This record gives sequence, C-alpha cells and structure tokens, in this order.
Amino acid sequence: MAKLFTLKGIVGGSIVLLVLAIALFAPLVIPESYATQMDMRARLSGPTATHIFGTDQLGRDLFYRVTLGAQTSIMIAGTAVLISLVIGLPLGVISGYFGGWIDNVLMRLVDTLLAFPALLLALTISAVLGPNLTNTIIAIGIAFTPFLARIIRGEALRVAQMPYVEAARAAGTNDAAMILRHILPNIMPPIIVQATISLAFAILAEAGLSFLGLGTQPPDASWGLMIQASRDYLDIAPWTALVPGGAVAITVLGLNMFGDVLRDVLDPRAS
Amino acid sequence: MSYILNRLLSVALTLALISMITFVVTNILPGDVAMVIMGTQSNPEALAGLRENLGLNDPLIMQYGRWVGGMLTGDWGKSLVFKEAIGPLIAQKFVASGLIVVMSMTIALVCAIPLGVWAAVHQNKWQDNAASTTSLLGVSLPDFFWGIMLILLFARYLEWFPSSGFVHPADDFLGAVRHAFLPSLALGLGLMAHLTRMTRSTMTGILNQEFVRVARAKGLSERTVVWRYSLANAIGPVITVAGLQVGYLFGSIIVVESLFNFTGMGWLTYQALLNRDIPLIQSTVFVIAAVVMLTNLLVDLLYVVIDPRIRLN
Repeated sequence: MAKLFTLKGIVGGSIVLLVLAIALFAPLVIPESYATQMDMRARLSGPTATHIFGTDQLGRDLFYRVTLGAQTSIMIAGTAVLISLVIGLPLGVISGYFGGWIDNVLMRLVDTLLAFPALLLALTISAVLGPNLTNTIIAIGIAFTPFLARIIRGEALRVAQMPYVEAARAAGTNDAAMILRHILPNIMPPIIVQATISLAFAILAEAGLSFLGLGTQPPDASWGLMIQASRDYLDIAPWTALVPGGAVAITVLGLNMFGDVLRDVLDPRAS
Repeated sequence: MSYILNRLLSVALTLALISMITFVVTNILPGDVAMVIMGTQSNPEALAGLRENLGLNDPLIMQYGRWVGGMLTGDWGKSLVFKEAIGPLIAQKFVASGLIVVMSMTIALVCAIPLGVWAAVHQNKWQDNAASTTSLLGVSLPDFFWGIMLILLFARYLEWFPSSGFVHPADDFLGAVRHAFLPSLALGLGLMAHLTRMTRSTMTGILNQEFVRVARAKGLSERTVVWRYSLANAIGPVITVAGLQVGYLFGSIIVVESLFNFTGMGWLTYQALLNRDIPLIQSTVFVIAAVVMLTNLLVDLLYVVIDPRIRLN
C-alpha cells in the first residue's frame, strides 16, 4: 500500500479525485446558465478578472463551460468503460476458463475485431447509429470491448491453471461457483488497473469523436466539442483550444499516473 | 513450410471475418444507399425502383456475396459522394496515408529509442524521471491537440511548414514531405511517448541481466555494453510494439488527416462516414482493418529475422 503514496501516486490520485469532484459537484453548485450565458461585448476575450479562462466565440465563459463539460466527458468515458466491462468480462472469463472450442471461436472473433482500430470502430458505430450522447457511449463501449476481453481472457486462463483452482475442482466445486468464488476475485486487480487506463483512452476517444462531429452534439457541452468549436478561432483566440485541451490532458495524465501506480500495487507482475 | 501455409489460411479466414463484420456493421444503418442517393424527401415509388435496381431487396447474404465477389474481381463499386470508382480512389489515397504512417513511425522510433535507452541507463535518476514525465505527458494529449499546437507554432507563427493540404510524392517529393511533416509529427509525438516507455522498460530488464554484468566485468566500454549488446536484445520487442501500433496510427489518422485537410485514407474514411456514403464506408473500413491485420502478420515474421533465437511453430 505504501507504493500508492509515491509522488506519482499522490499527484495522479489527487488529479483524479479533483476531476471526479468537479464532475460530480460542479453541476450542483454552478447554475447551467453560467455556461450558456452569452456576453456579446466580451466575445473571444482573453483571460480577465470576470472571465478567468477567457470566453469563446459566443462570449460564453470558458471556465464554467470546461467545469460543466467535465461531467459530460467523465460520464461518457465512465459509462463506456462500464459497458465494455459488462460485455468483455463474461466473454473473457468464459473463454479463458472453459478453453477448447469456445475459446477458439470467441478469441478468433475478438482478434478479428482487434484488427479494427478502436477509434475507427467507434466512429463507424457512431456514424451508423447517428451521433448523439447515448450513441457515443455505446460506440466507445463496443470499440473497447475486444481489448478488455482479450486481457480478461489471459488472466482467467492464468488463474484457471492455479493449484488452488485444481484443488477446488477436486473438492467438487461446480463451474459457476468456481468462476464466482475463485476466478473473478483473483483476476480483479489487473482488470481494475486496465479499466483505469481504459478510462483515460475513453476520454481521448470521446474528445476525438466529438472533435470530428461524430460524438457529443450541441447543446451538450463536452471537452472535445469545445476544442472542435475553437478550430476557426485559433489564430485570434488560442485559449479557446488550450482550456478544453488542457482539461483533457490533465485528466488523462492523472488517470495514467494513477493507473501506473495502481499497477505497481495491484499487479506487480506486470510492472 | 506448414507454418506459413497455416498462417496464410488463417489470414484468409480473418479477412473473410473482417469483411463480414464490416458488412454487418454498415448494414444496421437506418436507411440505405437508395435513401442516401435520393434523399429523405424522395418519391416512395422512385425509391422502391432504385432499391430494386441496386439489389437492396435481396437477402443480406446475397448482397454480401455480391459485395465480396465485386471486391475479388476488382469492382469495388462507386462512391456516392465522390462519384468515382472506389478501387482507384482508395489506391490513390493510400499513398498519402502511407507517407505519413512511415514518416510518423520514423520520427517516433528515431526519438524514442535513444530517449528510452537514456532513461534506462540512468534508472531512477533525474534523467529517467524527466523522460518518464515527458512520455507520460505525450500519451496524455490527444493527437489532434498536438496537431492544433503544431499548426499554431510551425504554420502560423514561424511559417516553416504548410498547415494543410497534400502533394503527391511523384509530383514534388520535397513538397510532399513538407506537407506531410506536421501531421506526421502530430501522430509521431504520441507514438514516441508510448515507444519511449516500452524501450525504457525493456532496456531496464536487459541491463540487469547476467551477460551485461559479464560484459562490464570484461572491461568493455559502457557504450559497447549499452548500445551494442543490450540494445540488440531490446530492439525486437520494441519493433514488435511499434508494428502493433500501426493499428493505433490508422485510427488516429482519421482525426489528424481531417484536421490538416490531408487527403489520405483517414480523410477519405471521415468523408465517407460524415456523408453516410455506405459503399465507401464498407471499402475504407475493410481496407484499414485488412492492412492492420497484415501488418501484425508482417511484424510476427519480422521478429524471426531480428531475433534468430525465435523459431516459428
């Protein structure tokens, strides 16, 4: 546990906690109108005392937009990773635990899906379903599933060969009990690490999708959408891109740092 | 020999699966090609006629057969947006993307290997921390954000490189490289960060091994020990990881090419997705997945060349 309190762990963990707190509580404290109110006399204004992060092309305050956008970005990324876990966990565990033809068929499918770059898969699914907030979540969730399923399968395979699993089998434990009591608890640590890192990738994916106009749609405010809106004003107002871009970078950096340290603690073999 | 035959068979099977997945995903679209061609306000009878003409009323399996048959015989259909034959269109755009994939990979490897080795040699010292922090920052920024920053710095302020467009290498090679440089750098920076981390961790493992200690005890210079003996052992895994990143690159080019208006495969795929050009979506998605799969195969085979201790079986 002491490993968690290294400089990297403390910085990463603090960033993650801070972003989570902002995502959870900012919408309760800050009225939504603060982020949508247009100050027409201060369009594309740089950071000032009234607008500490400056304003966008419609004179909306970037500080409030980026704080309220946190909720959308975090919610999309979190739900998407949850979806990929809900699909990937049973797939991976069944494949790794039972082996044989089930494993062959499932992993052939997973390997084929892995040939599709995750972002391409997410973009295609989002374009096919029609871009909006829900479909962005579904698209990223499905796109990340093969990767997680592959890792979970590897872990399940490793644990299934452990002596204690063999002992439990000899004692007459059935498959369902075996998976629930012996396999799942023992594969959880590396999966938690992977989920943390996937969360970072999901935030990047959401930003990419929204940046291309195939993710979150206005009036929902997300970080990717804010960067997209800034494209035409880069020359005169670079902060319109720097503020949301910085938010993405800090959040992903925090998640990556925290994920690295979490790996040292929970999954020492891999680090 | 039987290994290669097995691999080829597996490649054929995977390609078939890729084509099926692509076809299924693009066919759950609400609306179809006929709707895209004629628009949502079109006359229902004309729409029905067009559907019949395009064979959209046939069972899915027949439509799939027709699509695959066309691909095999070189008839990839026509793009609805570009009104051009898809085969030549993709071939042309592929050159552009090939250029930035190769350039970004080169940039990434040329920077990542020395940086990773440097960090590993100075393990847990400030050099290591500096390299780790830089690479962590690199993987945390979206590619397109790098792209925006590069446009601001190199295209707007310094005016060293053009901020958009593509020049064919056959027309003007230097111009092509200049146009491809910023998008390649945007892609390469993220990749470099990833490969630096990989090189560092592989090298750290190797530098702790017995043969390195023996080489040092023999009095070999540190340079020979690190760059000749240790790196020779680390390069295999690093190249493998680099090869596997081609998949990641082909995902990222969609965003980066669109940002730089660089008319390659990523840009083409984006145009297809944005305009719901279903035949073009099917072909571009299939081609990208196939290229990724074949690159992974190539990396597997290359590994044997780099590291003769590995035997294929």
